[in-house]
Amino acid sequence: MEASLTDEVGSVVLSLREGRKEYGHVRALQGANLELRRGEILALVGDNGAGKSTLLKSLCGAIRLDSGAVEINGSPVELSSIQTAKDLGIEAVYQDLSLAPDLSVSDNVFLGRELLRSGARGRLGMLDRPKMARESDEALRALGIQLKTVEIPVEKLSGGQRQAVAIARAVRWASAAILLDEPTAALGTRQTQIVIDTIKSAAARGLGVLIISHDMPRMLGLADRIVVLRHGRNVAEYVSSETSINQIVGAMLGETV
Amino acid sequence: MAANETSAMTDLDDQDPPIRQGRFSVLRVNTAFWVLIIDLLAMGLFGLLSPDHVFLTPENMTNIALDSAAITLIAAGVAVLLGAGELDISIGANIILASVIGGKVMFNVSGGSEENYGVFTNLGWGITVGVIVTVLCGVLFGLVNGLIVTKLKVNSFITTLGTLGIGTGLALVITGGGNVEGIPTELQEAYGVKTVFQVPVPFIVSLVLIGFIWWLVNKTRFGVHSLAIGSSREAARRAGIKIERNVLVIFVLVGFLAGVAAVLDLARFTSTNVGGHQTDALAAIAGAVIGGTALFGGKASITGAFLGSLLAVILLTGLVILGFPPYFQSITIGVVLIAAVFSRARSWAIKNET
Repeated sequence: MEASLTDEVGSVVLSLREGRKEYGHVRALQGANLELRRGEILALVGDNGAGKSTLLKSLCGAIRLDSGAVEINGSPVELSSIQTAKDLGIEAVYQDLSLAPDLSVSDNVFLGRELLRSGARGRLGMLDRPKMARESDEALRALGIQLKTVEIPVEKLSGGQRQAVAIARAVRWASAAILLDEPTAALGTRQTQIVIDTIKSAAARGLGVLIISHDMPRMLGLADRIVVLRHGRNVAEYVSSETSINQIVGAMLGETV
Repeated sequence: MAANETSAMTDLDDQDPPIRQGRFSVLRVNTAFWVLIIDLLAMGLFGLLSPDHVFLTPENMTNIALDSAAITLIAAGVAVLLGAGELDISIGANIILASVIGGKVMFNVSGGSEENYGVFTNLGWGITVGVIVTVLCGVLFGLVNGLIVTKLKVNSFITTLGTLGIGTGLALVITGGGNVEGIPTELQEAYGVKTVFQVPVPFIVSLVLIGFIWWLVNKTRFGVHSLAIGSSREAARRAGIKIERNVLVIFVLVGFLAGVAAVLDLARFTSTNVGGHQTDALAAIAGAVIGGTALFGGKASITGAFLGSLLAVILLTGLVILGFPPYFQSITIGVVLIAAVFSRARSWAIKNET
């Protein structure tokens, strides 16, 4: 299920048209649109309550939209559950709670998708830990993450390394896109840089990367495009090299710039 | 976070953080090893102090092995349950109820009667059916616990506090407050007190089952999923792990082990022990935690649970041989438990000081 590098970078891998979602009287999304291309990093920004999280959750199958058309690689899909989204090649990374801290890095990378030994031992549920370790190590190295060993518990890693491992896991399994919800919110500068580097490597591998963050200056440096949500609708879209923080914040707050 | 940002230049820890050494980190990593040392030290001490070094005689070792057969087995099961972030304090009640029901069935199917005490007309069938019923009762008890926890979403401490009362009460209702007596002595001879090269057969059975549990926890997908659930339920859920099914299976496993322990009761004493077992579950939890299993999930050491619960038996036997009242055992275990958890908490604090 690794990202197929034959898929053309720049082609639309994930799209949403007219996404709508209401929670009782709260209209979280009122016709949101999104196009994510292979190899690009797209930042989704907006004030609190603008609908960023709702949009991201709907695209990773955690919630169902009331209406809206989702396509993956140009084919209409129904993202009815997290599992469905995973099966379709979409992986999500959350601010925290993505990894089991007591388990090893390798066990975490394969959590829920463990490799079993061949033959009878495999049918008994016996793990192929050497193979899991090898492949985890490869998955991490592919994104430039160096750990002495993938056998150590995740709780012994720094915050940035943990998040990098979570992203590496998502990349290992995603074939279309990875969605990141505030992946650096709890991290310091140096730790954040580890995560940023990992995100760049993920995009370079031909996945679409959608990221929600409050960290406007960093998004400006990281993302290729920036989509601004306000009251559940897209209100602006910028190429990050051609915009400024003031312009983005203005759009977020609904000020005419 | 602030410290991280201001000292970013010097914070080499960012680059190369694995394996932070604290003064207590060895203790933390190798809890089972340290418990083994404590076990051996205790045995050596009792050996030295006991008259004629009677503690270290093969006969006494056989006794310790037999005495520890049930509790080590239960502790191993409890370690898995704790590792998955759940508790079961109803194990003692399960043992009592399973042995009462199984004992009744065994007695009656064997053709035993009040009039002809000790005479059985259908011994083979009686013992076979009785053993199976006892184990099944244990499994069923565990299944009920598991279903209440996973389907009705009642916290496992509360659930098993409830079934602890229900199980004990039911057992006493069935027997009218007494014990089921007159279990065929043939079961005792063939299993309960039988030894092979001075090793009690029940202890061998426990070792085999504990070995199986060790394999489950350390080598299988089931083990990884169990610990993942205890480590972070949300991470496990997001990884697509079937949490409810997994937790249910662990409760059934613990119930099965209680059933096996109940068979041992019947076989060893040719009677039930409705007055005992009140502290079995707590003793098993203590043994597991002393051995390095985390009370709130994520870590389970089966070897540690075995050695930790063995310590309680060693202490009890040794103290009794030395002429101390047996109550000193519970005092000692209490101190060891708190010391073990304290030292781990210290090492954790040191680890996170950076």
